[in-house]
Amino acid sequence: MDREQVCLLKEIMEVSFVLDETSLYLDTHPNDERALRLHNNYAQKYSEIVSLYEAKYGPLQNHNMSQYPWAYINGPWPWEFDYRLC
Amino acid sequence: MRTESKRREFQLARAYVPFQIMNNVYNSKEALKKGTLFPELYMPYKYEKRY
Repeated sequence: MDREQVCLLKEIMEVSFVLDETSLYLDTHPNDERALRLHNNYAQKYSEIVSLYEAKYGPLQNHNMSQYPWAYINGPWPWEFDYRLC
Repeated sequence: MRTESKRREFQLARAYVPFQIMNNVYNSKEALKKGTLFPELYMPYKYEKRY
């Protein structure tokens, strides 16, 4: 596990937290255009970062695609990350 | 028990939640750190060094 993997994972966690927040806000403010733009920007960024991560380190979730052989089981479990690296 | 919670001094609570209008937002790094995207909702408990 290298520094870059942890940093990428942290960024994914940051972006997905923002999406949690924007989606909750949009539930009660569906007409807030600025909020929707913000949400869509982060949703775009989220899919980019996740595919970047998965191309290098294998599937982040077990229902995502994997190269051959199945890479999910060899990837680190969440508690095996050394989050201090980043 | 029912009648008791009706009497004035036992009224539980009345919530008033103003309708939030999104203004500034934190960047993604700060939002995760602070636990909210919205500065107006960031209210950490201030604690003195008592414990």
